[in-house]
Amino acid sequence: MTAKMNRLAFFVLVVVGSFAAACGGGGSGSGPGPGSTPPPPQPPPKFSNASLSGQYAFSMAGTELCAGSGSFFGRVGTFVADAHGNITGGLEDVNICTGVQTLQFTGGTYSIGPDGRGALGLTNSSGTTTYSIALSSTTEGAIGQTDVDVTASGSFQRQNTAAFTDKALAGGYVFDFKGVEVTGTTVSPASIVGRFDADGAGGVGNGLFDSNVAGSLSGQQTFPTGAFYQFDPNTDGTTFGRGTAKIAGRNFAFYAVDATRVKFNGTDFPSAFAGDAFAQQNIAFNLGSLNGGFAFLISGLSTTGSIGTAGRFTADGAGNLTGVVVDENNNGVITLLPNGTVTGTYTVDNNQLGGGTLTWTDTKAGTFSFIFYLISATQGVFQETDSKLVSDGLFSAQTTNPISAASLAGDYVFDWSGGSNAQEDFVGQLTLTPSGSFSGTMDFNEFATGKQFFDVPISGSLVLNGDGTQANTFSVNAQITPARTFNFTVYVVNQNTLFLVGVDTNQVVVGTMTRQP
Amino acid sequence: MGTKWEQVLKHKIRNIVSSAAIAVAILLSTAVGAQQRNAAAPASRPTAYDVTRETTLQGTVVSYTEDSSRPPLGAHVTVQTASGTVDVHLGPASYLRSNHFSLAVGDPVRFIGANIPTEQGNVFLARIAQHGTQVIAVRSASGFLLATTASRALPQAERSQSAQQGKPR
Repeated sequence: MTAKMNRLAFFVLVVVGSFAAACGGGGSGSGPGPGSTPPPPQPPPKFSNASLSGQYAFSMAGTELCAGSGSFFGRVGTFVADAHGNITGGLEDVNICTGVQTLQFTGGTYSIGPDGRGALGLTNSSGTTTYSIALSSTTEGAIGQTDVDVTASGSFQRQNTAAFTDKALAGGYVFDFKGVEVTGTTVSPASIVGRFDADGAGGVGNGLFDSNVAGSLSGQQTFPTGAFYQFDPNTDGTTFGRGTAKIAGRNFAFYAVDATRVKFNGTDFPSAFAGDAFAQQNIAFNLGSLNGGFAFLISGLSTTGSIGTAGRFTADGAGNLTGVVVDENNNGVITLLPNGTVTGTYTVDNNQLGGGTLTWTDTKAGTFSFIFYLISATQGVFQETDSKLVSDGLFSAQTTNPISAASLAGDYVFDWSGGSNAQEDFVGQLTLTPSGSFSGTMDFNEFATGKQFFDVPISGSLVLNGDGTQANTFSVNAQITPARTFNFTVYVVNQNTLFLVGVDTNQVVVGTMTRQP
Repeated sequence: MGTKWEQVLKHKIRNIVSSAAIAVAILLSTAVGAQQRNAAAPASRPTAYDVTRETTLQGTVVSYTEDSSRPPLGAHVTVQTASGTVDVHLGPASYLRSNHFSLAVGDPVRFIGANIPTEQGNVFLARIAQHGTQVIAVRSASGFLLATTASRALPQAERSQSAQQGKPR
């Protein structure tokens, strides 16, 4: 951590030093002479330590070393940043190999560079954990843990403390939790997606969920009795927005971002789940709710290893799907659709609560099946239900505005996760030019001693295919030794969000790019 | 041909039956509306581990690669069997190392697993690997790799002993 902070401090010094040197040059003989036009003033840096100010809730999932092997873990909490590089407090819940713990942050430091990237250290009674972060704005960003033998990635958002009451959480919520379910000596990868109504007083109604545990599908289930949510009655609740809940028959600790988003961490050790719940649009969902082009991104595990899938489809509002395009990387085995002819259909539950099914069949590649819960008419959580697959994520409506390299030009933060033989997590920032070329910088953690990489320069290009709503090509060259190349297919959601899936046969990487202001 | 009274009675009965049928239909449709979706019969990918097609494979190690470029990613061992060479997938090598499981050319080996087709030919996904007297489970009974999940099922003492001892949490 210290080394990384020093490195970033050095980076800031270099930037500031360069700026000072450039300004100081005006007094030398080589400076602009009388009558020449002075150079335009440098725009102020977009980001600095002041950009991280206030209280932020975070959630992440990843892999830790446990008994010599990689093991899933979840980490959800909140930190308080003082705008000057100091962490002044916070709280987190971890579900790690040795159990579930709630830990108070007693301090920490952070440093944000002008591109929005930075380093974060969070100190609790057990020591300091370290992270790379990248701000997409002053209210949210991507986060990746960079400790040796522990890697994870996720997101953080500024909290609204006014939402730290049971009353504030009222209405429908859609959730997506992923993790592992332990039954006796059997540990299974698992995904749970669903929805519920919070009644504003700690009660939960209309709870529905679908679980996929090692490929065993529950079908849609109602919540078992005893579902609830409750902010902690002590200062953990009022100060940090922490609470406890029973959702889909599982126990969780949660941290509220605001009334529209809540972060959950499972506490039924040794099982572990982590994920977010999103406020659901208050409408009666039906077939017509799914109408237009949608891009999706899901990831998880298959019986060959890691799997990542991205793609797009068009729903006609009447139960039919067209325009299905898919890139699936199943631990190095790439499947692209369309391969033959693709036809598809979808259903939306009669109860109008937003659940549904979705299936497409490629005459050569076979059938792909999913269930979903709609957050709104433009977004839903998505779970694959094919045999021996546990994979979930999101779909989002694609923009109807023209997509071009010029319209996508700008600054982005990215958060990729995946790996080859071990978990990898990447956090970075890049600037995309109107020609589609880009350059930037990233940090990544390869889950082994000496495999934490910081400030790695990257460059490459985005090549759009047709109108840009289809599978686009995105190649990233990482300037490290030995050099590494990442080949992605990109699906454009809109001018602010892109979904990526790696199509290399030697690694499985998925992630998102989010526009900075 | 019945009496008028019989015709009226039949008409009433028809009406009652029709009303009852409509009522039942309404009840059924309401019940369907409230019913949860059942789990759909999942489609199966050709690369999915199929427990029903498990076989035992026995032979001698021809080559062993911890980080094979051949998919699926992970450790692969080529085994000479009585019926030819077979490419066996063992998952992440780190898991094998942490279980002190190593292979060398010429070693006799035995695997329980299932074949899957890939573009490069068939691959045998090992669930159980045996080398001499050492036997390790590589996949769960349902076929998922144990490499990233198994340690959570270990006894608490073993987890505590080997976990991030002394490291920040």
